[in-house]
Amino acid sequence: MAVVNPSFGEELKKYGAVDFNACYNCGNCTAVCSLSTEKDSFPREMIRFSVVGLEDDIKSSLKPWLCYYCGECTTHCPRTAYPGELMMSLRRWLTSVYDWTGLSGLLYRSLPFSILAFALTTLAALALSLGLKTDLPAAMHYGHMFEALAITGVFAAILVPNIVRMWWLVIIRPGKKVPVANYFTGIGELFVHMFTQKRILGCDENRLRWFEHFLLVIGYLGLLFTTVVLDWFSNTSLLVTGFGYLLSILVFSITMIFISERFRKNKESNRLSRPSDWFFVIWLFLMGVSAFLVRVFLDLGILANNQWIYFLHLTILVQWALIIVPFGKWTHFLYRSFAIYFNRILAEIPDK
Amino acid sequence: MNNKLGVYICHCGGNISDYVDVAKVKQSVAAEEEVFLAKTTMFACSDSTQKEMIEDIVANELDGVVVASCSPKLHLLTFRAVAERAGLNKYNYVHANIREQASWAHSDDKSGATAKAINIVKAAIKKVRFAEPLTPIRIPTINSVAVVGGGLAGMRAALELSSLGTRVYLIEREHFVGGRVSQWDSLFTTGETGKELITRLYNELTEQKNITLLTGAEVTGFSGSIGDFSLKVRITPRYISGKCNPGELKKAIEVCPVGVADDFNFGLTVRKAIYHNFPGEYPQAPVVDLSNCNRCGACEKICGNIDFSQKEEVIEIRTGSILVATGFDPYTPADGEFGYRTCDNVVTLPQFKRLIDMGEKMLIFKGREIRNIAYIYCVGSRQAEGENKYCSRYCCTSTIYESITVKKKFGNIHNFHFTRGIRTYGKQEILYDESSRQGDIYLQSYEDDPPAVTGRNGKAVVTINDILTGKRELEVEADLVVLVTGMVPRNDNPVGSLFKLPKGRDRFFNEIHMKLRPVETVIDGITIAGACQGPKNIMESVNSALSAAVKSYSYVSKAEMELEPVVALIDRDLCSWCGACTSACPFEAIRKENESGKPVAAINNSVCKGCGMCLPVCPVNAIDLITYSDREIESMIDALA
Repeated sequence: MAVVNPSFGEELKKYGAVDFNACYNCGNCTAVCSLSTEKDSFPREMIRFSVVGLEDDIKSSLKPWLCYYCGECTTHCPRTAYPGELMMSLRRWLTSVYDWTGLSGLLYRSLPFSILAFALTTLAALALSLGLKTDLPAAMHYGHMFEALAITGVFAAILVPNIVRMWWLVIIRPGKKVPVANYFTGIGELFVHMFTQKRILGCDENRLRWFEHFLLVIGYLGLLFTTVVLDWFSNTSLLVTGFGYLLSILVFSITMIFISERFRKNKESNRLSRPSDWFFVIWLFLMGVSAFLVRVFLDLGILANNQWIYFLHLTILVQWALIIVPFGKWTHFLYRSFAIYFNRILAEIPDK
Repeated sequence: MNNKLGVYICHCGGNISDYVDVAKVKQSVAAEEEVFLAKTTMFACSDSTQKEMIEDIVANELDGVVVASCSPKLHLLTFRAVAERAGLNKYNYVHANIREQASWAHSDDKSGATAKAINIVKAAIKKVRFAEPLTPIRIPTINSVAVVGGGLAGMRAALELSSLGTRVYLIEREHFVGGRVSQWDSLFTTGETGKELITRLYNELTEQKNITLLTGAEVTGFSGSIGDFSLKVRITPRYISGKCNPGELKKAIEVCPVGVADDFNFGLTVRKAIYHNFPGEYPQAPVVDLSNCNRCGACEKICGNIDFSQKEEVIEIRTGSILVATGFDPYTPADGEFGYRTCDNVVTLPQFKRLIDMGEKMLIFKGREIRNIAYIYCVGSRQAEGENKYCSRYCCTSTIYESITVKKKFGNIHNFHFTRGIRTYGKQEILYDESSRQGDIYLQSYEDDPPAVTGRNGKAVVTINDILTGKRELEVEADLVVLVTGMVPRNDNPVGSLFKLPKGRDRFFNEIHMKLRPVETVIDGITIAGACQGPKNIMESVNSALSAAVKSYSYVSKAEMELEPVVALIDRDLCSWCGACTSACPFEAIRKENESGKPVAAINNSVCKGCGMCLPVCPVNAIDLITYSDREIESMIDALA
């Protein structure tokens, strides 16, 4: 017996859900969705669960992550109930459910809190840069160290525990009996989807969207590797330098396209952008552009006289690494791939 | 006897001629001695053939015409009109159906079909020989209409009739007009209240000189027929005379020691034995409800206008037509039906409407504030087991409108709708949209698996296997459960049996034809309007009221009316009154009369429908049916044999 809980819908609206109460259960959304299958049928079911407030069922569901928001459902909804945006807001809500710190939820729900977080990190970075002002090489050294430490720290303290929480919510708590061997047989799925996002190709739209997204992920991961492992800003190898340029250009040009699309609201998935969506693309763009400029200034030999550019880059980096990566939209990179992985594992256990 | 006949045999394209040899039919009937002219035609109903027939009739001075073609249902009136246009009486035309009865029925046997067609046409020829020119029966009509029921439909119909220039008697059983609508607050789509609608109609009514409004008036006797009905109306006095001083009246009501469950608020409140339902109700004079008054005299001491000497009176009204608009009752759930009367927090939709109207800042029921409201739909309508198979039409819209109103008026309320599918048809759909967008939750089940209501900690718990959530069992803890009760025929409605109005399977009054004659009843001169005919919303009630008003007007407006002359005819020499015919007559058209000392049966031509039920029961064969006399029928049988 489940209790109907209308306040869940109210809560969901803080995560960006719009007008999903208008749904009259025709199921057009599910019918037009090219990713929905008989076994994993969405979005209607998720909308219904949200309307009646079946919070636990949504917590243990992977379906929100199986959607890639092509927006067909919203286009075809006869009630303008924005099913696509409901799925999007469920992903935001789930992100905050998985996050043990609770900061994720705060950032999604409250724009003032997000602004405060950005302001505080700016101040911290400013203080750091004031402290190291005279010593650019030291700053760059600490900056590089920060990157490596931040990645390790964020993963160890936030992301890995959150993935474990996700696993507990979708597999252990609902009492699914998964043989240990299945975790190994399905592991390939995790990495394939993490690095290729090939599931987007199942969406009924042009392949450009997948290609752009794919290039961005490769560009972003490549840039991360180049800066952290190959230490791009200190590396003198022509190959590495060129590689870094290429990747940073890739990152800021594709994010530029994404930002302009969000401005133009050219498709359903861009019509109702939330602050978290804007932060994600804009900061990724700023990262690419500032990294590119730091290296340009370096190569032109004017960085020493224009240290501000490095400190700007560092500020953006700190905000990215401490806000967006652990608590923001960046996490979909992990949760989506793990969702597909868990779903694969669960699909292998026979139905009762 | 007609002996110069014209006979036309129709091919009906090939519908007849493909199976019936029409030339042979023509040949064999042309040989009949009375037949002056016989022709075949491709389409008898075509304009050119009609013209040709008229020319033939005029040029040859034919005295009878037969067209052998399709069913009389299709073209009897067409060819009767042809006869009339040619200067022949329309009853000198006889129709022979050789399509449905010969060609189509015997398409496998052409010669048999032809032989049968010949017989059918010959029989028609025999019949038309005896045809006599007939004129319609004319009866005088009284130019007035009695409207029974002073609710919205009755008031609107009365106004319409009055504006057409007809005298109207508006007869209301209660002491106040407005019926159910006066009990409703704000109404979709205009947002006007029921009171406002009734006020507007009442003000217009009182301005009309030709409307007589009778309140506290009940029809107790009925006789007569279309054009001249006679009604006995018993009028219960108000026991208050003249205009009361409002202050005195208020005090007089206060001192009354009697408490009576207030029907106006569906029993939610208690009123006194001297009362008015709400201030400003029409007519604006209170009433002493003598059946509950204990005659203590307390009110009399305060208000001088109270007058117990007033007497009940019975008046007689003669009227040409009667318009029945007696309305509906809300369905009363059985004890225990969804917790009704067994669970504390269960009310019906009409009660809920009164609760909202009466609530000021908070919605209060039994002293507790209401936050979560569960609505259970289709209670008493669309019953799987019970008698009420019909949908009550207004309840989905009304409930959703109230759920929006209650949220707007009191804020902070959660609505849970337990439905069997929402039927907010037409413009009303926008309400459903508005309600779901405001966050109302709709749950749905099938009729064989209804929601259940149980009490728990002073609240009502409603559970449902929600088909929209994969039949998951869901529950809502509600402060108030509203049973969305539909409409049922009025329980206490003696008018129906008094007028012998037929009822449908749903027990509402029945029209003659749902689509084509929607406001007439089989009792000539009596029309029906509003929810006494079946569940209707206000718009639909007013539509039917206007329609019934115009129909009733059409009976009485010309001071006389024409009726079909096909009626029973009594041979007064043969008849010696045994009464068999009068008990066989389904329309009470036969009465006993004295013919120079001898009792005989007499036909009331304005009531007789020419059905022929009286003919076979007469032991002395004293009854004939005009156009179906024994000699006509016997001659036809001879031709067919």
